[in-house]
Amino acid sequence: MEADEKFFAWLDGELNAAEAAEVERRVGASPELARLAAEHCAMQERLKRAFGTVADAPVPEQVRAAVRPPSGQVINLDSVRSTRGRREWGSLPRWSAIAATLAVGILVGTLIPERASGPVAVRGGALYAAAPLNRALDTQLASAPSGDVRIGLTFRNQAGAICRTFTEPAASGLACRNDGRWKLEGLFAAPEGQSSDYRMAGGMDPHLAALVDSTMAAEPFDAAQEKAAKTNGWR
Amino acid sequence: MDRLSPFEDELVALLPRLRRFAHGLSRTAADADDLTQATIERALRSKAQWQPGTRLDSWTYRIMRNLWIDTARSRSRKEKVEGPPEEAELLGEDPRESMDASVDLARMMKAMSRLPDEQREVVALILIEGFAYREASEMLDLPIGTVSSRLVRGRMALLAMMGER
Repeated sequence: MEADEKFFAWLDGELNAAEAAEVERRVGASPELARLAAEHCAMQERLKRAFGTVADAPVPEQVRAAVRPPSGQVINLDSVRSTRGRREWGSLPRWSAIAATLAVGILVGTLIPERASGPVAVRGGALYAAAPLNRALDTQLASAPSGDVRIGLTFRNQAGAICRTFTEPAASGLACRNDGRWKLEGLFAAPEGQSSDYRMAGGMDPHLAALVDSTMAAEPFDAAQEKAAKTNGWR
Repeated sequence: MDRLSPFEDELVALLPRLRRFAHGLSRTAADADDLTQATIERALRSKAQWQPGTRLDSWTYRIMRNLWIDTARSRSRKEKVEGPPEEAELLGEDPRESMDASVDLARMMKAMSRLPDEQREVVALILIEGFAYREASEMLDLPIGTVSSRLVRGRMALLAMMGER
C-alpha cells in the first residue's frame, strides 16, 4: 500500500465522501500509511505556524505605503493619462502653464542650449546621454537613487527598445536604447524656481508625461523587471 | 486627504496574506517584501482589468506569482553564472528552535527555496495559503492533475528535508 495522489488528496480534504471512506480504510489497515499521514499533517502544521508569523506580524510601512504612497514618491501614470485626455491647457495648475512658456522643450531635431557639462552629447546628428547621465541610465534603479540624476519610469517603446525617464537638477527627459547607447528622445528644462526640487514627485513635467504616453508600448516595468532589464544590459 | 477606494481597502486587507505568500516563494524576507510591493504596484496599475464581483485575492495572488516567475527566471540565469548565494545548511533539528515559530520561519523558507519553482508555488498556495486544488490550478493555468502531482513531489521533498517525526 503506498502513498499515492489519492492519499494526499484525502489529507487535503479534496475527495468526495465515497473516495474518502475508501482511503480511510486503506490508512486504517496500514500502520505505514497512518504514520505517513501523521508526518505530513505535522509538517503542514509546522509550515502553517512558521509562515503564519508573517501574516500575524504588522505589515511594514514601506509595503503598506505601496497601496497609498505618500504624495510625491511614485508617478501614477494612470492618473497622468486620465487627466491628460480631459484637461485643456487653461485648466492646468498655474505653475505648469508658466512652465509651458518657460520650458525649453527640446525634442530631438531641435536646438539645445549650450552647456558646459550638460547631460547630452551629439553623435551623427542625434542626441545621446553624455557621461554622467549615461552612467546613471546604465546603473541606477528607480528604487535606489544616488547622485544628481534620478530615474523614474522604465518601459519598452513600440519598437521594443527599453526607455527610461530621468530627472536631473536642470531638466527631465526620456532616453531609449539605440545601438547600445541611450538616445535622448526628449529633454525638458525644469520650470523656473523648481530646479532644486527635482523629485519625480507628483508633478512629472507635462511635456515629458505626454512624450512618455505616446512612446510607451505596455505597462512600465516594476522594480523586479527593472532590475532584470539592468542585468540583461537593457536589451 | 484622499480616502482609499474600496479596491485599495481590499488590497490593504490582503497585505498580510500576500506577504505570507511572498515569503513562501522568496528566498529572503527582503525579497518577499520587494515582491509584495511590486505586486501591489502592478495591481494598482492594472486595476481596470479586475472585474468587480470576482475574487480579488486570487487575482492578486496570480499577479504575484507571475512577477515572481519573471524574477525567478532572471535569478536562475544569474546563479548559473555565479553559483548559488550560499550552500544550503542542514535543516537539522534543534527542538527548542523549532518551537519558536518565527525562528522556524527562516528554516522553512530555506527548505521551500530548495524546491523546484513549480513545486514551491503549488506547496505555498495549497499547504500554506490553504487554496483548494481547483483554485490553485486556475491561478496557475495548470490541469488539476499536474497541480496534484507537483504537490505530492513537493511535500515529499519537504518532509525528507525536515526529517519531521
